[in-house]
Amino acid sequence: MAQQSRRGSQRQKAGFWFVLPAFLFYVAFFAYPFLSTVYLSMTEWNGIGDPKFTGLTNYVRLVQDGAMWSALTNNVIWVVLGTAAPIFVGLIISVMLWTGVKGAGVFRTIYFLPMVLSPVVIGVIWNWIYNPLFGLLNTGLRNVGLGKWAIGWLGETETALYAVLLTAIWTYMGFCIVVLYAGLQKVDTELVDAARIDGANPWQRFKNVIVPQIRPVLTMVIVYTVIGGFNVFDVVWVMTGGGPNNASEVIATYTYEVAFQNSENGYGATLSVVMSFVALGAAYLAMKFRRAGEA
Amino acid sequence: MARTATSQRLFNSTGKYVVLVLMAVIALYPIFQMWMTALRPSNEILRSPFALPSTLDWSNLATAWTTGRFGTYLINSVIITIPTVVGVVVLSCLAGYGISRFKFKGRNIMFMTILLGLTVPFQSVMIPLYYQLLNMGLLGTYWSVILPGIAFGLPFGVFLMQSFFEDLPHELAEAGRVDGCSEFKIFKDIMLPLAKPAVSTLIVFQFMKSWNEFLMPLLYLQDENMRPIPLGLMFFQGAYTRDIGLIAAGVAISTVPVIAVYLIFQRQFVKGLTAGAVK
Repeated sequence: MAQQSRRGSQRQKAGFWFVLPAFLFYVAFFAYPFLSTVYLSMTEWNGIGDPKFTGLTNYVRLVQDGAMWSALTNNVIWVVLGTAAPIFVGLIISVMLWTGVKGAGVFRTIYFLPMVLSPVVIGVIWNWIYNPLFGLLNTGLRNVGLGKWAIGWLGETETALYAVLLTAIWTYMGFCIVVLYAGLQKVDTELVDAARIDGANPWQRFKNVIVPQIRPVLTMVIVYTVIGGFNVFDVVWVMTGGGPNNASEVIATYTYEVAFQNSENGYGATLSVVMSFVALGAAYLAMKFRRAGEA
Repeated sequence: MARTATSQRLFNSTGKYVVLVLMAVIALYPIFQMWMTALRPSNEILRSPFALPSTLDWSNLATAWTTGRFGTYLINSVIITIPTVVGVVVLSCLAGYGISRFKFKGRNIMFMTILLGLTVPFQSVMIPLYYQLLNMGLLGTYWSVILPGIAFGLPFGVFLMQSFFEDLPHELAEAGRVDGCSEFKIFKDIMLPLAKPAVSTLIVFQFMKSWNEFLMPLLYLQDENMRPIPLGLMFFQGAYTRDIGLIAAGVAISTVPVIAVYLIFQRQFVKGLTAGAVK
């Protein structure tokens, strides 16, 4: 057709000029700094003068860095609970909506609302909920006679991470509900009815008929929360700053401290390189799990 | 209504509504209570933290707006958000169209490179970008968050526009070509107007992303006169830890605009945030 002709291939070249501006922008402020990060990760540099090349020294240090491992452990806890909890709630609520309720659209709008707020705003709101003296949580506990449970949730090393994590779960629940609800719209209800006639109980129908049909959507939600869990920064920084005593430190807050408070740019870069690959690897595994499920 | 019949057995109906309403309360109450608190005088809040306002008191909101500089923060957020959104939308439409409609040398490598950005977090570039912006003389200017903000919006924007243009019928463009229009004119006058739904999704999504951005301005905008709302709110919280009325006022000012935009454009919001997840 026209594409084979000279004029046609001339025409195809126009596409290059459409893509070029975006590509240049992306290279200048994203791809190039990313490659610089990889280079910096093999140097020692306090930001003044030239970086000193040190090979894999930073990576050796990273493997032996206890603070890094405890931060990474917190990320793993975050990824596991921060994925399981909102998906658990999301599945229950979205199936309830899907089975037909009045005002499903209104519920959906409300559930999704926290997701549009800045994590900073959410952190400030929950700082107030957790406030030891006048916060919603402790006031509530005192009112029902559980005053001895009223502790400084964000100030105790045992609870700080989980208190911040609960905030994130609160934010992501609505997202999970809405995405899973959208996935449920494509479920074949005849299959569900057939299973019911065959005597499958509600749990069996859910597990064996509904879940396999929404599996792609479920995987995407998991990829989203897994990547989010490895990269989390804002809400932790606003609520605890990684404290007390590094109890709620995650890789992103640790990287920030190393690079911008201690001026160890080289080692900070090493941390961010490793973090990107951990998130990427986890996301890749989740996608693979999805393909395996389809095959 | 096969679906309703299936449903009745999965859940008991009244119980279902109780759970759904409870969830709605959990999602809304913290925000609602913050707004109510913002409208009460501080001494009254200390006496009974969770009561509703007896009379509306605007003094906390006024103090936050002037002394707390939320008026300035709001303007800064607008100054940063608008050029970022315009940049992302313009560049994404052009690139998405170019990738979906033309076969040229380097097309795949350019596209894959941009798509890789979907998985790379900002933290992975924040350190060298700081020095790059410093060397370019942009550090501490609005450009230091606008330009990287545009670059970071591109992976999703190009992905979204590319998949939208791919699905449009080719015949329309051919008609324009027969009439002798330039490729750019075909794009601008024929194809772009058809892409309105995707463009509005991208606008809303990018608006929200830029409006809520925190780490980038925290690193690159150190002048307190240039702080956007999230950054301003964080420092405001640090300065007035004990005055919950004022903090609530700060939260109210920060949330009302974005919630208003959300309620008006909620379809685009949900589409933008769930695109990729539901395909």
